[in-house]
Amino acid sequence: MDDARPPGDDRYRLLVQSVQDYGIFMLDPGGHISSWNAGAERIKGYSAGEIIGRHFSVFYPPEDVAAGKPVRELEIAVEQGRLEDEGWRLRKDGTRFWANVVITALFDEQRKLQGFGKVTRDMTERRNAEQALRERRRLVGHLVEAQEVERRRIAWDVHDESIQSMVAVGMRLQLLASRLPEPHASAVGGLDESVRAAIARLRGLVSRLRPPELDRHGLVEAVAGYVDEIAGRWGLAHSVRADLTAEPSPEAAITVYRICQEALSNVHRHARATRVDLTLATVDNGTLVRITDDGVGTAGGDAGNGHFGLIEMHERAEAAHGWLSVTSTPGDGTAVEFWLPILPDVPGLEP
Amino acid sequence: MSELRVLISDDDVMIREVLKDVLDAESDIAVVAVAADVDETIRLAEHHRPAVAVLDVRMPGGGGARAAREIARRSPGTAILAFSAYADRASIAGLAAAGVTEYLVKGAPNAAIIEAVRRLGRQPPS
Repeated sequence: MDDARPPGDDRYRLLVQSVQDYGIFMLDPGGHISSWNAGAERIKGYSAGEIIGRHFSVFYPPEDVAAGKPVRELEIAVEQGRLEDEGWRLRKDGTRFWANVVITALFDEQRKLQGFGKVTRDMTERRNAEQALRERRRLVGHLVEAQEVERRRIAWDVHDESIQSMVAVGMRLQLLASRLPEPHASAVGGLDESVRAAIARLRGLVSRLRPPELDRHGLVEAVAGYVDEIAGRWGLAHSVRADLTAEPSPEAAITVYRICQEALSNVHRHARATRVDLTLATVDNGTLVRITDDGVGTAGGDAGNGHFGLIEMHERAEAAHGWLSVTSTPGDGTAVEFWLPILPDVPGLEP
Repeated sequence: MSELRVLISDDDVMIREVLKDVLDAESDIAVVAVAADVDETIRLAEHHRPAVAVLDVRMPGGGGARAAREIARRSPGTAILAFSAYADRASIAGLAAAGVTEYLVKGAPNAAIIEAVRRLGRQPPS
């Protein structure tokens, strides 16, 4: 029978008084506290007896009180019906917590102000967690950037200094071989072959460190070139399908490239695949990339075990304010999918 | 058959020297000038009017592309062989825009360099 009719005042009161996670209380039209609940006591540290009758500005830090914030908040609530605010509030012991506050103006049927309902949540932990996450992303972003700068420097050094010198040495060896009798000519010719092989390896290193196409031709050519080269070398059938309607920022492009490198290297090392397919598309003002293979499908399991390459891919994507997901079905291959916003990170836009 | 007169231009001293020795070792080729930057290249090309200029793509003073454009203007009979550390399409496109069609990547065998110089030097000037 009870269930058929609306709960009575007593049951509402019980609900409000018992809620632990929200401070729910009322103010009279002048801003004095007229009711209190368990959540408010838990968050703010006052018992009902201590706080009822006091003005609610006691919860605000002195600088906010001096600026007239408590009064202004009530005025806005009256004008607009409600007010939501996030900011520092004081506990009874003077310590601060980060609060989400909603003040609702309560009017009777004659539109006469009866007081205010106030719901307060302690967001300190969430705020700390968000700040820690932001800080972590910022650091990873710096790390990634520093790594790219360093890679570029090494690439230029190798390219301009080491390879040039070795080219000159190789030419000198060939010239020498042409002037020597056998078997010395063959011996020197062999040296030239070694130098030539070393040059080829160094060129491969340079293009992995800093793909020249990324600077000059954009993302798709760089990724396609890399997939051709590397999948070809590993004997994997491969395809790259690109449908980009917008070129990502240089920062996003290098991140896409690096994640593709890491994902392909995972395919090579772990997947035992025979083919790999890559698609790039512009989706939601970002670049969506999907890398699928037909291998044994164990990469997803590795993610849980903290496989380094996968962690790095996740961190790169998140540092660029995107996401990355790996789905892996045993016997049915692995799909790495990630999305990065096209625009570079603008710190001011963060909440 | 007269000697093929060649200008070499590269900012790397080791490459310059060995390239000179490699080409000079051929009886039908004579290196008449060696330059280390773009301005020197242009000046020496105008002065010597060689049959072939072997140009580094990346050089201080505007790069091989600028050298190629100026040589074409000041010594139109000189054929140009680009000798580059880069094998990518952008470098090739940049040189093609400056009128260079012959291109060798550094690391090519000496025989290929000699063969390219002969082929360019013996063709009638366009």
